[in-house]
Amino acid sequence: MSYIIRFFTWWNRATLSTGLWTLLYGERVGTDEFGNVYYRRRGGKKDKALGFERRWVIYKGYAEGSATPPGWYGWLHHTVDTPPTQEKYAPKEWELPYRPNLTGTSAAYHPPGSILAEGRRAPAGGDYQAWTPEA
Amino acid sequence: MTRILVDGVEVDVPAEYTLLQACEEAGAEVPRFCFHERLSIAGNCRMCLVEVKGGPPKPQASCAIAVKDLRPGPDGAPPEVFTKSPMVKKAREGVMEFLLVNHPLDCPICDQGGECDLQDQALAFGGDSSRYAENKRAVEDKYIGPLVKTAMTRCIHCTRCVRFTAEIAGTSDMGAIGRGEDMEITTYLQTAMTSELQGNVTDLCPVGALLPKPQNFRARPWEYQKTETIDVQDALGSAIRVDARGREVIRILPRLNEAVNEEWISDKTRQVVDGLKAQRLDRPYIRENGRLRPASWQEALGTVAAKTKATKAEKIGALVGDLAALEEIFALKLLVEGRGSANLDARQDGSKLDPRFGRASYLFNASIAGIDEADSLLIVGSNPRKEAPVLNARIRKRWLKGDFLISAIGEQADLTYDYDYLGAGPDALARFIESAPTASAKRIVLIGQGALTRPDGRAILALAAQAARKHGGLSEGWNGFSVLHTAAARVGALDLGFTPGQGGLDAADIAKAGVLDLVFNLGADEIAIEPGAFVVYIGTHGDKGAHRADVILPGAAYTEKFGLYVNTEGRVQEALRATFPPGDAREDWAILRALSGALGAPLPFDSQKQLRAKLGEAHPHLLRLDQIGSASAADLEAVALQPATAWKDDFAPAITDFYLTNPIARASATMAECSALALDRLKQAAE
Repeated sequence: MSYIIRFFTWWNRATLSTGLWTLLYGERVGTDEFGNVYYRRRGGKKDKALGFERRWVIYKGYAEGSATPPGWYGWLHHTVDTPPTQEKYAPKEWELPYRPNLTGTSAAYHPPGSILAEGRRAPAGGDYQAWTPEA
Repeated sequence: MTRILVDGVEVDVPAEYTLLQACEEAGAEVPRFCFHERLSIAGNCRMCLVEVKGGPPKPQASCAIAVKDLRPGPDGAPPEVFTKSPMVKKAREGVMEFLLVNHPLDCPICDQGGECDLQDQALAFGGDSSRYAENKRAVEDKYIGPLVKTAMTRCIHCTRCVRFTAEIAGTSDMGAIGRGEDMEITTYLQTAMTSELQGNVTDLCPVGALLPKPQNFRARPWEYQKTETIDVQDALGSAIRVDARGREVIRILPRLNEAVNEEWISDKTRQVVDGLKAQRLDRPYIRENGRLRPASWQEALGTVAAKTKATKAEKIGALVGDLAALEEIFALKLLVEGRGSANLDARQDGSKLDPRFGRASYLFNASIAGIDEADSLLIVGSNPRKEAPVLNARIRKRWLKGDFLISAIGEQADLTYDYDYLGAGPDALARFIESAPTASAKRIVLIGQGALTRPDGRAILALAAQAARKHGGLSEGWNGFSVLHTAAARVGALDLGFTPGQGGLDAADIAKAGVLDLVFNLGADEIAIEPGAFVVYIGTHGDKGAHRADVILPGAAYTEKFGLYVNTEGRVQEALRATFPPGDAREDWAILRALSGALGAPLPFDSQKQLRAKLGEAHPHLLRLDQIGSASAADLEAVALQPATAWKDDFAPAITDFYLTNPIARASATMAECSALALDRLKQAAE
C-alpha cells in the first residue's frame, strides 16, 4: 500500500524523481523531532540555478510546509548555516514544543461558540445589551 | 461689487469678501486649516497662500486679505489673484513641510485617518518626500473632558477649537499657552470643558488632535453606512448623519441645515449612541403574578386584545412620550378613538398647550433662522442652554452681532450671553407687559416649558401672548411668539390632536390610581402611572415605563425606523432608518396595526406608505417635508384675551439634568458620566 502511495501521490514523502535525485546528489544533514529528513547538495556544492547551496526536506508522511520546526526552518531558508543538530540549543522553560499548522485537521482551533466547538461566543461590538426585568 | 481676476477668470464679488471667498466664487480651490466659515479669521496656518497682483509682492494668506485691499492695475485693470502659479505651489509645499515638521507620522493608528484635512492636503498640495531628519516635538496629552480625547502631538495650532469655544459655545474653555514651538492648546487647568456643544470641536479639528473619546479606535470612516436623518434628543430636529457599521450605530455627526442647526449639534445628540445599545427591550413581556416574563408576540398581543375587549371605552387611556414619530401617534390615536375613548394625552409633563388655541399657540413662530432677524428677546421660564443648546448658540450669535437686548424671566442661569434679569415669576411678566424696558419692532417672546407645565400654564400662555402683542412681538409680517419645546414628539402630537377629546382625561388624570383600567403608554417614561390600571408599554428601553408595564411590546428607536417628526418651529422632517431594531422588536406603527388586527378592527393601512397617505388625508401639512405649515397669528390675539390670573410661584426649570432627559440618554454610560461631571461642577459652584 505504501508503495502505491509513493508512486501515485506527490503529497506524501518524496516523489520518485526527488527520491532518485536525493539518492544521487543528496547529503543527509539531520532529522527533526517529527522524523522529517533534511538534505543538502553533496559536499555543499553550489547550485547553478540558485548561485548557492541547495537544501531540501523529505517529509515523513504528508508533505506540509509548517511541519518543519523553527530551527530547521532557519537552516532550510539559509537564515543560518549551522543545522540545529550541530547546535547546542536548550529550549527555555517557557518555550512550548513546536506544533505544525493544525488547520484542516481534527485538532484545528475553533473559537468558543463556533458550531464546531463548545462554549458561548464572547459578545461582539455590534451586539446590544437586552433589558431584563430584575424582579 | 468689485471685479477681480482669479486665475484669469473674472468674477464680480462684494468688496468685503476675502480673497478666499472670491477664489471659491471663481471655482478655484484653496487649501486651508485655520479658516472656518462660522469662526473669526485667525490667519495662522498659512495654508491658503495665494499670489496677488495689486498687493504686496509676496504670498498672501487669502483668508485674511479682503478684495478691497487689492489695488487695481495702472490702467484700471482689475486686481489679479493666482492660485495655480509656481510661486503658490512652492509656497504651499513650504507651508506643508513646516506643518509636517512636528506632526507625527502615525496615520495608521490615528482615528482621523481617512477623514483628515492634513492627510488630504499633504497628498494634494505637499511635497513628494520629507527632508526632515531631526527629532520631532512631542506634547503631553491633556484631559479636556469625557467626550474629547486629545493627542496633542498631532495639533497644528489652527486654534479652531479655541475660537469655537470662545465664539460659538461662549464658554472660553480652551486656550493656547506658550509661544512658537512651545505653544500648547489646553483647558489651562486640565478641567473638563463645560459647554453643551463641546463635541463639535472634534469635527472642527482638521487633524487627529481632538477626537471623540467614546468612539476611540472603534472604526474607520470608510467602514460606515451613512444615513442622513434627523435628531430627536431635543425639539429642534437637528440634521444629523448616523454612521453605522453592521447593525451597530457607532457615531452621530451633524449635517448642514442653515434653517435649524447650521452645522452644530449638542453633546446629547452626538454621544447618546451607546444608549441605543444598552437596556434594550428586544422581546415582548407579560406580567404574571407580579413578575414580567418573556412572551411571544402572539401571546402578548392576544393578552392586550383580550384586556382591551373586556374594558369599557371610558376606562381606556393613552399616553404618548417624547420620542414618538407621527406614524405611531396617528396609529395609536385611531386605535384608541376607534374604541370610543377620549382619554388621550401627549403632554406627559403637564404642559397646558392645546391645539384648540390654534397652531400658532404652540409653535416657535419666529422660526430658528428668524432669531437672526429679531431685534430683542424675552425669555420666559426657559433655559435655552439646556433645553436646546444649538438654539442657544444661535441666540448668542445674534447677541454677538450687537443691538440685541435680551431679558429673562425665570431661572437666573448662565446662558453664555448677558441679559437683563427681570424676575423669577409671573409677576415679572406682568410688570414687563406694563412697561417693557425698550421699544422693539421685532421682539421674540420665547416661552419655555418651565412656564407652561404649571397648573396656571394657560394664564402664563395668555400673559406671554399679551407681552408679544403689546411689545413688538406681533406685527405685520412678524410673529415673535415662540414656544420652545423640549420633546421632539410634542409638536407632532399637538398637530395630530393627541390631546383629551370631549370629556377626556389629561395626562395627570390618566396616571392617577383607580381612574382608568387600561392605559396604552407609547414611550412615556417621564410620568409615573400609579398602580391600578393595566399598562401596555410600547417603547425601546427598559426605563420607568417598562418597569411599570403589565405588557411590554418592544418598539424601534429613532435610528431604527422611518418616521416623521415636527420640530418646535413646526417644520416636518423625516428620520430614516440606519439600523434595524434589536431582537424581536418591531416598528411601533406596525405593532399598533397588529394589535388592531388582534382586536378584530384592523386600522385602515397595511404599509407605512398607506399609513402616510391616510395621515396626509387627515393633516395635509404633515406630509410637506422641510416646510413649516401655516400658523395664524390671529389665534394669538384670542389667546391674549383669555383670563390671565397667574400664581405667584417662581418658574421652575423644565430640565434639571440636560444629559438625562429621555430613556435613550438614561441608558447611555457616556451621558451618565457627563451628568455626574456637571453635577460636580454645580456642587463646587455652590460651595
